[in-house]
Amino acid sequence: MNSNPYRVGSIAVFTTFIIIIFSTVFMPMVLFQPKPTDSRNHYDVEASAGDALRGRQIYVREGCFYCHSQFTRLQDRGYGPLVKAGDFVYEAPHVLGTARTGPDLTNEGNKFPAQWQKAHLIEPRSVKPGSIMPSFSYLSDRDMNDLVCYIQTLGNGRTVNAYVEAPDEYMPSTPSGQALLARRHVDTNSDAAANAGRGIFTQNCAACHGLEGWGNGPNSISLEKKPANFSRPFYKQYSDQMWFYRISEGVAGTRMPRFGEILTEEQRWYLVAYLKTLPQDKEVTIDSLAQLDKLTPTKLPVLTHQQWEPHSGGH
Amino acid sequence: MQSGFMDKFLSNEPGSASRNFLISALWWSLWAMGAGLLAGIEFSAPDLIHNIPQLSMPHLRMWHVNGVAIGWLSMAYVGAIYYMVPSLCKNQLWSERLGNFTMWAWNIVMVGAFANLLNGNTEGREYAELPALLDYMVVVALITIAINVYGTVATRKVKKLYVSLWYFLGSMFWFPLVYIIGQRTFVALPGLNDGIVGWFYGHNILGMWFTTMGVGMMYYLLPRLTKAPLYSHGLSMLGFWGISLFYAPTGTHHITQSPVPEWLKAIAIISSVFLFVPVITVLTNFFMTMKGKWGMVATDLPLRFAVTSAGFYLITCMQGPFQATRWVNWYLHFSQWVVGHAHLALLGTFSFISTSAFYYVMPRLTGRPWYSEGLIRSHYWLKFLGFLLMMVSLTTAGLIQAAGWAFGVPVDQWSLQIRPYWFLRAISGVMIVLGQFIFAYNVFKSLYSKEAKAQSAKVMEAVKA
Repeated sequence: MNSNPYRVGSIAVFTTFIIIIFSTVFMPMVLFQPKPTDSRNHYDVEASAGDALRGRQIYVREGCFYCHSQFTRLQDRGYGPLVKAGDFVYEAPHVLGTARTGPDLTNEGNKFPAQWQKAHLIEPRSVKPGSIMPSFSYLSDRDMNDLVCYIQTLGNGRTVNAYVEAPDEYMPSTPSGQALLARRHVDTNSDAAANAGRGIFTQNCAACHGLEGWGNGPNSISLEKKPANFSRPFYKQYSDQMWFYRISEGVAGTRMPRFGEILTEEQRWYLVAYLKTLPQDKEVTIDSLAQLDKLTPTKLPVLTHQQWEPHSGGH
Repeated sequence: MQSGFMDKFLSNEPGSASRNFLISALWWSLWAMGAGLLAGIEFSAPDLIHNIPQLSMPHLRMWHVNGVAIGWLSMAYVGAIYYMVPSLCKNQLWSERLGNFTMWAWNIVMVGAFANLLNGNTEGREYAELPALLDYMVVVALITIAINVYGTVATRKVKKLYVSLWYFLGSMFWFPLVYIIGQRTFVALPGLNDGIVGWFYGHNILGMWFTTMGVGMMYYLLPRLTKAPLYSHGLSMLGFWGISLFYAPTGTHHITQSPVPEWLKAIAIISSVFLFVPVITVLTNFFMTMKGKWGMVATDLPLRFAVTSAGFYLITCMQGPFQATRWVNWYLHFSQWVVGHAHLALLGTFSFISTSAFYYVMPRLTGRPWYSEGLIRSHYWLKFLGFLLMMVSLTTAGLIQAAGWAFGVPVDQWSLQIRPYWFLRAISGVMIVLGQFIFAYNVFKSLYSKEAKAQSAKVMEAVKA
């Protein structure tokens, strides 16, 4: 057969595919070789506690990674520090996970006592009502102990020794946090800014948090989750970013709204400046209804249309 | 002379390899889909089965995924191309005995997969769970299929290669390589590199096997069933080259938020978006071929399955690039939305096209008409409506979960709120599995019942007389 019409086509298919394999399989192997970091999981625990590496094999064998992921993302609030590429060097096969039917387990270690973890594996609903996790009661005692030992090592290279900070995208460690600081022109330590913030606080926050910020606003009586009392000394360690984050994103599950969608960045920084002045050495406790901020019965002011809307009416 | 044993187990009868593959596929589909249903029910009733490791959700899930992917879909694909390739080349399968040998090897793999995965004997790599020995056997099976298909095409009686053959030949070159790379049997790569190679494989089992083979089958079935010529051979070539260029590098879009290199994520996301090009060309070609023939889906049931498959392919491929982009992925990743998308591709698109091929090919292989058209219709509606319910419930559950992660709602809270959707998903599973059992009953009645045998004897007599 002279000149096969499909020769060029087959060579093209072959070449294309080899180039793709080269660029997306072999090139990453060569170019991407992260150094192991100290924040990785350390499996060399005391032998008496159990065999964490064997526990990892059981984690894989029982398919835990189908429902539990093991990498934290920027938006995963309350799941501990973010992972780095070097944290995974000794993790083979990877257990990054594909779907989260349950919580992320990146930093699960020592969040619960080992006994709790074991009870949770044997009968999940006895300690977590409403959970849909399967029961792993069929595991032998040794398997179970090793698995619990493995779970308790997760994230132990990332142990947190300080109060929780704002998420990374607010902090100077990320480009978005740097951009946030670069845009800020309010000096949050100045009295002028705090004074400006006081007005914003009175308008937007005092109804729940009270005029002095003691959590005793007139609206607080009707709230199931009581508003924060800013006179607590605890708030002294709040960084500017932490205040800013709380104001911007609110508190899920409470009436505290996401003021990021209501106030401008500038207004929120003024508010931060004011809030920073509120914590005291000794918390002002609000123990009785009598201490709630009361509204004096309002006499409706008799306003003319012109006084009510001074900038638009009157023509 | 061959012995009786050889003829019984490695039959040389024309069409036997194709038929055996299709029937094995149907057999494994019952087991694998049934496991999926049971796993789905366990989401709503987690204490239904207690203390039986083989029936715990994660083990069922492993077997479900491997069973439907390697058992049902892949075997149905091979069965279908063992019919389609010779028919397009106007000759016989290169070696029917080799085909039957592959069929046995593949069935042994499936028995092994069933026994190993349900007992948790897994390599722990998603979509590559099979133990090493079974991996070798799959590779042997794939290579024997490739030899058979390439041999058939090399000895063809027509000069030009129809576009379906391009897809089949391409897949038989790509997929064995993808499979070998993806198994990582001999290597323990560092975690994230393992993830990169794992998702190269995990996405390309779809991109370089299910999609390319499935689209090839659509190219074969739609013109045959409608008796209309393909709208444009130029477009079909554009689609083929588009898929082979843009599909393979997309794998990393599964881990865009993990700390893997940014350039790799960029390659993956850009190629994912570029996939619009081949998808729109392929579907334009299909839908223009259907022009003026849409009414045929009312009576032609294999065509109805094929057209439904093309429709779901359109939705799958609009969803895919959408959720691969960074911002959408930021919101939707890790949620049941993705599970819905996976079912849209494998159940909505490729299971429907395999079923269409099955309904089209089987009577032509055996000469026996379908026992009941009503059963085919009920299979279609159970599968179609069941799938829609599954898609809607998983997508809704996914949106609730995604909102939960984005707004910091605790898992304990949103996991309670998606319970109704787990329940709906279980109902959809009942419908789909029931449809599959009706399908199997119809096949049994058509091929193996007394009436069917009597009828085919009559036909044979008529032929002789």
